[in-house]
Amino acid sequence: MIKIRDLVFEYPTSRALDGVSLDVAPQAITALVGPNGAGKTTLLRLMAALDTPYAGSVAIDGLDTRREPREVHRKLGYLPDFFGLYDGLSVRRCLAYAARAHDLAAPDVNTAVTEAAESVGLTDRLDQAAGVLSRGLRQRLAIAQALVHRPKLLLLDEPAAGLDPAARRDLSRLLISLRDKGITLVVSSHILAELEDYSDHMVIIDHGHVAGGTAFKGAQLYIALAAPDGKLKDFLAGQAGIEILQADASRARVVCKGGAEGRASLLQTLMGAGFAVSDFGEDRHALEELYFAQLGQSGEARN
Amino acid sequence: MNPEFQRNIWLELTPARLLLMTGFVLFLIAIFSAAPPGFPSSSAVATALYYFLVVLWGTRTVALSVIAEIRERTWDFQKLSAIPPFTLMWGKLFGATSFTWFGGILCLPFIVYPVWRGEGPLPAASELAILILQGVLAQSVSLLTSLNLIRRQHNYWRLDAFLCQVMGIAAAFSVYGISNLLSFGSQSQAMSFSWWGMVLEPHRFQFFSLLIFTAWALVGCTRAMRLELRFANGPFVWLAFLAFLGVYEAGFESWFALDVGGAPLAAHAAALRLGIADLALAFSAYGMVFLEPKDPVHFRWLIGEARSGRIGRAFLALDCWMLSFGATILCTLVLALAFWRDPGSVAGEPAASLILPLLAALGFFTRDIALFVLLRTWSRERGDFAALAALAVLYVVLPQIAGPARGLLLPQMTAPAIALIAAWMEAAGAWIWALARIQRRAG
Repeated sequence: MIKIRDLVFEYPTSRALDGVSLDVAPQAITALVGPNGAGKTTLLRLMAALDTPYAGSVAIDGLDTRREPREVHRKLGYLPDFFGLYDGLSVRRCLAYAARAHDLAAPDVNTAVTEAAESVGLTDRLDQAAGVLSRGLRQRLAIAQALVHRPKLLLLDEPAAGLDPAARRDLSRLLISLRDKGITLVVSSHILAELEDYSDHMVIIDHGHVAGGTAFKGAQLYIALAAPDGKLKDFLAGQAGIEILQADASRARVVCKGGAEGRASLLQTLMGAGFAVSDFGEDRHALEELYFAQLGQSGEARN
Repeated sequence: MNPEFQRNIWLELTPARLLLMTGFVLFLIAIFSAAPPGFPSSSAVATALYYFLVVLWGTRTVALSVIAEIRERTWDFQKLSAIPPFTLMWGKLFGATSFTWFGGILCLPFIVYPVWRGEGPLPAASELAILILQGVLAQSVSLLTSLNLIRRQHNYWRLDAFLCQVMGIAAAFSVYGISNLLSFGSQSQAMSFSWWGMVLEPHRFQFFSLLIFTAWALVGCTRAMRLELRFANGPFVWLAFLAFLGVYEAGFESWFALDVGGAPLAAHAAALRLGIADLALAFSAYGMVFLEPKDPVHFRWLIGEARSGRIGRAFLALDCWMLSFGATILCTLVLALAFWRDPGSVAGEPAASLILPLLAALGFFTRDIALFVLLRTWSRERGDFAALAALAVLYVVLPQIAGPARGLLLPQMTAPAIALIAAWMEAAGAWIWALARIQRRAG
């Protein structure tokens, strides 16, 4: 969906991106992570064809952002980290304006407005002014505005920033539902634990370079034994749907396919085989460890 | 309907605001209609109100239509829309000002009807057209200025809005007032004056000048909007505008010749026309170098393209101020050549004696442009105002205290060679410094 090659972007006194190359798979959620000032927002703006690269290229669905920026704009929706809304307009008018501004024909506007409002759960707020909405609802309206023209690609810069836990959970669900509808999403975020809930891939940006990345293959499980057992690794290797990331006699980290049922089945099998399981659950820190490991390697390589 | 225009109408023309404006305008005019002799007439009040609403308020509203989008962080959304540049431009120009136009239009019958009654339908129609054109010109110049100022990406939005207002008002009244000035300048106070040797009626000239400059302002707005929406503009429309500006201004040569005593300069009409065009080009360079962003990254890119031999690609991406700067240099050199080949004398001096002061002036101009570029590399926020302050010091303060060393600061007829050398040394120093700063990049 997105092909980036040797991308360079400069500010007057610094180089924000220096030779970034990466591919973003279609119909997936790609998380863009990295420290503050790493170049994530700059990269998203270049993907959105809002800024011009100094060198290199970005192609969105085969369209070069430098040569065909307006065609690229038709294909995507973009939510900046700090966004504004037309506070004096109602939600319905905000969405109608967004639909018309994206060249939707007049007869299609009402349908598009209804669909966009439904997709973000704002149907009951259509006649409220945007200015009176809470932070979470404003976020939803902004996403709905970016979605109203049914784009193939949605770029979100720190969409969870400033949201309370419930709103963040809703956002995760929303992003997954959008991906399931066939939209490609690129999400920049600092909240690594939540990215794991909905992302399919992670790309780490650091000091204007791609510092690493990975594809998430499923939920990572952490297993600990009360009494060490040398057969643990071989036992796990013999189980279908299990991929061992790391294992020794007393603990293991695995990827388990099959969702909740797969996890229940694995626990039952381990207990049945006589392993003294003392800890079993989703490894919430896996992404964080991976992130810091790759960031550390990148830093060492740079030095 | 244009979605941007529609959005502005939703926000601007609410029933309560329409009612308030109607009541305000009609109440004020009604009061002065009933006032005893000695008070301004209702027509004069309507005219003042029209200028207040459409020109003074309208220029601010239209400037804020862009500046506020940046401030409220909605501009990226508009840039990502599918609205074409011209549509977005007129949607803002007439949508954001729809409320002030509503008030202005309420005033128009009270202005035009007395003219109709006194002078007939044609003068009334002309008056109406001029008023509307003045409003559109003022607002479009304000919009154009704001579209240029936002590219500088600084945070002084109130100052920017004020600057846009000043530019809009100045544009509307300078074109409006030029024919009055010319008829005043002519000795007979006659109802005609000469432009490019043609005898013209001031009112008609004023109308066509307004029409043409309004058209150029709208072209400028569309091009500035194109840049914001990531279209490439190319240099040719700006070059065409510079050619138009030079030709338009050069046509006033007879007025300048009369002003300095007539006969001697009138004998050098071609050189005088070239000189006036040159001044207009230099003013455009000063104006645009102040307004445009002078982005060091763009400079580095241009230098990189030129070094790689892609001159054509670099030329197509030149900023307006760069083109004005180049055109001014070219025009000045042609003027110097004209003086060199002229065996006659100007105001008692051989024409050739003007060459060195002229080239010195070109050197100081080159230094001034470099100052804007240099100080922009120091501060994106304050660089342009620092450059203005530096020019005030160089041209106003220092010559007052420099005494005999004034030749180092201004073109001189008495010691032209010293001024010439000083000017070009200063220009070279400023450009070397500016380019060194542009090439420097941290990280």
